[in-house]
Amino acid sequence: MNKSKEKQFYKERYAQQDHSIATKDRVVAWPRMGNIDLSMGALVSSLGAKIVMPPQNTNRALEIGVKNSIEGICLPYKLNLANYIMALENGANTLMMFQAPGSCRFGNYTKMAQKTLKKLGYKFDMCVFDMYQSKMKQTLEAFWHVTRCWNPYRYYKGFSTGFNKAFAIDKAEKLMFYTRPRELNKGDAERCYKKWYEIIRETTSVRECKKLKQRVIEDFAKIPIDKDKIVPTVYLLGEFFVLLDPYTNQEIEKTLGELGIEVQRQIFFSDWLEHVLQPSIFYKKESHRQRCVRFAKDYMKRAIGGECLETVGDTVFAAKNGIDGIIHIMPFSCMPEIVAQNILPKVSRQENIPILELVLDEQTGKAGNITRIEAFADLIKRRKIKNIKENEEENAIKK
Amino acid sequence: MTLDNRKIKKIGIPRAISYYTNYPFYYGFFNALGVEVVLSDKTTAEIIKNGNKYVASETCLPIKVFVGHVVNLLEKGITDIFIPSIQSTGYKINNCSKIRGLPEIIRNVIDKPFNMIEPTFDKTEKLGFKQFWVESAKSLGITDKKLIKQAIESGWECYDNFRMMTESGINYTTALNNALNGICEKKNIELVKPISVVIMAHGYNLFDERISLNLIKKLEKMDIKVYTSLNIQREDAINALNELDETQYWANELDLTATAAHYLIKNKIDGIIALSAFGCGPDSLMVDEIEHHAKDFGVPLLHLNTDEHTGEAGFITRLEAFADMLLRKKRQKLKNIEPEKDDLSQTEKQKILLSVK
Repeated sequence: MNKSKEKQFYKERYAQQDHSIATKDRVVAWPRMGNIDLSMGALVSSLGAKIVMPPQNTNRALEIGVKNSIEGICLPYKLNLANYIMALENGANTLMMFQAPGSCRFGNYTKMAQKTLKKLGYKFDMCVFDMYQSKMKQTLEAFWHVTRCWNPYRYYKGFSTGFNKAFAIDKAEKLMFYTRPRELNKGDAERCYKKWYEIIRETTSVRECKKLKQRVIEDFAKIPIDKDKIVPTVYLLGEFFVLLDPYTNQEIEKTLGELGIEVQRQIFFSDWLEHVLQPSIFYKKESHRQRCVRFAKDYMKRAIGGECLETVGDTVFAAKNGIDGIIHIMPFSCMPEIVAQNILPKVSRQENIPILELVLDEQTGKAGNITRIEAFADLIKRRKIKNIKENEEENAIKK
Repeated sequence: MTLDNRKIKKIGIPRAISYYTNYPFYYGFFNALGVEVVLSDKTTAEIIKNGNKYVASETCLPIKVFVGHVVNLLEKGITDIFIPSIQSTGYKINNCSKIRGLPEIIRNVIDKPFNMIEPTFDKTEKLGFKQFWVESAKSLGITDKKLIKQAIESGWECYDNFRMMTESGINYTTALNNALNGICEKKNIELVKPISVVIMAHGYNLFDERISLNLIKKLEKMDIKVYTSLNIQREDAINALNELDETQYWANELDLTATAAHYLIKNKIDGIIALSAFGCGPDSLMVDEIEHHAKDFGVPLLHLNTDEHTGEAGFITRLEAFADMLLRKKRQKLKNIEPEKDDLSQTEKQKILLSVK
């Protein structure tokens, strides 16, 4: 194969689109991942397609996924497959999924899911947009294929509302992480977040969506908090899906928040959206990935796929910026994160930052993890207080 | 410091991962550069135990073995160790993360001071084959372009000889020894055996006698003809994959899916044996893929999982059961062809089996 032919081959590698379903009959569904359904829903419905949302990830969903997938595959795939099956049962006929070939097993998800679903006898059209080649064009093409919408205003409306919703909900989440350990009335932050989740979901007009983020900030500012409380901060790092999906990570953020620890997550859907969808010429800031490459360079010299580099880079970044601890979560047998798991002990030793490893799979009991998290919380709290005392003593001597 | 002082005279290559398929090339290349190659010892329980000490428990067996071999080299007093990072062998055809990140793992888990020669081979990022070797030679203190070119050629020669011998049916160990000694011989007589299987496995699992528990020899003892990925040409493998309407996703998919696919299509085998290390990510997908096709062809598949605790007895039982099943299946098949010759003695049946082959 010569070079141009080869490129063409790889371009068509995943583009197997089915045109047999009429546009007006299309019912669109996509797998759950964090708050992705808010933005995707806004976009797809503004382009005029019907939507079926798969139900929330629960034990039942996991059971369906485990039953229909092979033993060795990773947890996110099992849940994705369950989402597809449940959506198809509810009347969906078009499945959307993005993928990034060449990272890890993630690039094979759609291929496998397609095979499995066909074996199960479902009829559907899988629409895949590839995140690694011409991002914006691919995405637009995929939506054009599904909706056949000509109207550019609708595209504008869809992308604008979708983006603003993603930014608003992520801001709300960040503020909730900040407020929860400091709140005076227990449960305020959680209630506020849930309220805004509903509001954000229901808002449809472009102008209202643009205001959402500001309104979220103002509303969270009203919650009474204890500003002088000593709150240790923890970075939550690890695999993308597990971080964003509250069922899989067993609501670890809530557990930590209630123990009086502020959680900071480096991976947010909106950040990723901003980076992935924007053409690289317009992206002037140092992206998250570039920052990670810079900080991880003592430990890693090359990217190895997945979020391994991000995990290591963020750990070093956290240690240099006064963060008190790292919680590293990963699904069982995740290949890139196992490499990170091997690297992190050395980072922990050299940068002097405590790290807790949590491996999640379908059998993990919650109680065992909570014990470990509580012990870790105690450790970093004591460490923080000790550090503060030492600093005070030093200052006193200086005076 | 002059260039000559920096020259490294001895280089250690761990007997794991890429050693098993690429060693003839490494040997030819480094010898032509005038660098002595030192290998680590063959895999033993001790080496696996040493590797286990350093890495996280979830890491797969081949990586643990690799770390054990690096430790073994360090114990031998070798300070320059060749640990390549083979990222991708084609545009977006990547290796498993753990193989891509081998130097990263070794750098961070082993505390002893040593010099790592870590060239990168990444077709996606346009870091090609030549650059890979120029980089390795540079970290050895050699920058003479002519010499490097010659070394690459002699590496190819050694490797081509090795492949030619394995493709003609010579077994792995003999072919490797011959290639290293500069001998190239061909074996054209194919032994006919009652049943034949193809093993789909990574070279580093299959040809490591400790990890695979001598799988090939065990099968040959049971009078089974064994095909491996080294028996077919690269082009054939790619064609077979295309014929099954699959696309290559993993860099080492040719060793597994494509090999099995080739023999499936050519209808040369009675069964497939998949050997994979526990927790291997790519294997879980590739075995599933071929299982799907094997069902269509009506060929049984045995999936063997190994880890550091695998007991030999359980292994043998499963192999024997599988071999028995294959033999019975074949006999049934022959019966259907010639129903009138139903009541034959064992030896006569054997003869028929052989003649049909």
